[in-house]
Amino acid sequence: MKSNSIGIAFLFLLVLLSLISAKYGAVEISHQEIWNAFTHSLQGTEINNLNERIFIQIRLPRVIMGAFVGAALAVGGVLMQALFRNPIVEPGLVGTSSGAAFGAALYFVLGATLKLNLGEWTLPLAACIGGIVSTTFVFYLSQSKKSNKSSVVSLLLTGIAINALFLSGVGFLSYIARDPQARSITFWNLGTLSGSYWEALYFVIGVTVVCLLLSLRYAKQLNALMLGEQEAQLLGVSIRQLKIKVLLINVIMVSVATAFVGVIGFVGLIVPHLLRMLHGSDNRFLIWAGAMLGALVLTASDLAARLLLSPAELPIGIVTSIIGVPIFIVLLRRTNYFF
Amino acid sequence: MKNNIIIFLLAIQLTSCGRFGNQDEKKNNEERIVCISKQYSEIIFALGAQENIVAVDLSSTYPTEIKQLPTIGYHRALSTETILSMKPTLILHDNNIGPEHVVNQLEELEIPMKTFGDYLPTIDGTDSLIREMGSYFRKEKEAALLCKKLKTDMEKALAETKKYSKTPKVLIIHFGRASNVYLVMTQKSTAAKMLEWAGGVMAVNDKRGMKQLSPEVVAAANPDIILLTDFGYDRLSNGNEIEKLPGISSTKAFRNNHIFRIEEHDLVYLGPRTGENVLLIQKLIHPQ
Repeated sequence: MKSNSIGIAFLFLLVLLSLISAKYGAVEISHQEIWNAFTHSLQGTEINNLNERIFIQIRLPRVIMGAFVGAALAVGGVLMQALFRNPIVEPGLVGTSSGAAFGAALYFVLGATLKLNLGEWTLPLAACIGGIVSTTFVFYLSQSKKSNKSSVVSLLLTGIAINALFLSGVGFLSYIARDPQARSITFWNLGTLSGSYWEALYFVIGVTVVCLLLSLRYAKQLNALMLGEQEAQLLGVSIRQLKIKVLLINVIMVSVATAFVGVIGFVGLIVPHLLRMLHGSDNRFLIWAGAMLGALVLTASDLAARLLLSPAELPIGIVTSIIGVPIFIVLLRRTNYFF
Repeated sequence: MKNNIIIFLLAIQLTSCGRFGNQDEKKNNEERIVCISKQYSEIIFALGAQENIVAVDLSSTYPTEIKQLPTIGYHRALSTETILSMKPTLILHDNNIGPEHVVNQLEELEIPMKTFGDYLPTIDGTDSLIREMGSYFRKEKEAALLCKKLKTDMEKALAETKKYSKTPKVLIIHFGRASNVYLVMTQKSTAAKMLEWAGGVMAVNDKRGMKQLSPEVVAAANPDIILLTDFGYDRLSNGNEIEKLPGISSTKAFRNNHIFRIEEHDLVYLGPRTGENVLLIQKLIHPQ
């Protein structure tokens, strides 16, 4: 399939799915109310109808947040898989998710005793710092002193070790936590889009778009890297520089997304694979298409999370796995597919 | 294809599971109250003020008929849209709700929320709570009757307690056993207070109301009586799982066959039935 037609198809599906997702949920909102909500907020008049306010303040930011977080996670997966030339990598592997989870858990357990309080922004900030700290840790510890080489394998192994460390930290914190705190940690670790609000959304959109544009700039160099580190170097790619830049983009994008919605697994892993089956491994294609498919997958998962048990809601991390894993396995078994 | 069938079945299973599938039979009520507190729920039903209650949280389990109402889920894992789909005109809660962002969203949408007074977990405090709720629901007479009953039951229970010379050491295990540790109630819990009134003493002390304990500590505590809350007991009592639990079989309680079941909602908060429940605990911890 041509990449253009894939793009158009994805765009069409994304718009369609977002509209469905905005329309349906636990609370029934009529088309008239949705229309009124839009016109009222565009005119800047105060909205009095409760359903219109639910739509503007809760439903809509949630749908848009889902799309952008999905895009961020999927592009994170594309970047990491390209950088490590390894198909099992997802953003979580270099420690970003576990560090963010640790930061969030620290906030839940010790937040009340710390004087630092930035209101709604404290938790995302704690998670973001956690993600950045752990990823920095992984990167520096993987640098070998003896030689100047920073091999991908050592980075990957250090990532596994640091992940284990931070996850046991999360485990320890939930062990010593009181019941409500432990609940909050579990809840956050499974991810939810239900806490989305406009200010957070603007921030996530800004960061995701900037990181996405930046990563498109490195697509060609990542393509060269697929040949091997030495070959890429011969083609004029500075491996160390590329690694730092791509890792930096990834950690900022993924920690910011994770910070607001919690840990959502599997999107970063499955999306790049689906795309490679569809159109091959060119990173110039994978990055923008990954953003769109990631948005699609997360929007669909969120819709399912809200409707499966309606009026109750499932944590989205569970849905991405329940839906994603079987589809992924079926596709893998059907296709002769090489990384 | 097999996977798809499994997902489909799982989806059916999920949508039909338990109290989430309950029908809303009060669609036309003008006042619609969602109650997110097991203690409030029980008092409201005891007052006979349940007419406008349209949904409760998952842990509101007493009286039995409350399980016919739709539920909005676990009180610490709420969802704004789930609550709003019940079209509430009022949300009652006891400040033990979460996550934080849901509470913020409800406040922003200006959904009326109410918390009754924060009284001490004592008989006097419970009395004040019942009376406050009684006057809120215009059921003052019923409230007075409930308080009178609570007082009489408590006097009876405390008088009974004096008859027993022994003060048995009691271990209360919540939810059975998970990952080889026991979640045990301590001297700080409401259960400990009821146990004290019933003439027993908690086997475990801690700064928090509940504590995870290893089997070794359970064995070392050597309680005379072990009470298991309903969930854990029902799960373990099939096939004599209880005696196989590590640490339990070396206790006095096990040797004398003094391991009993107790309903969680009889133990974890105070309410109009507290006197009755103390009498119940008394019988359990002073067997023969």
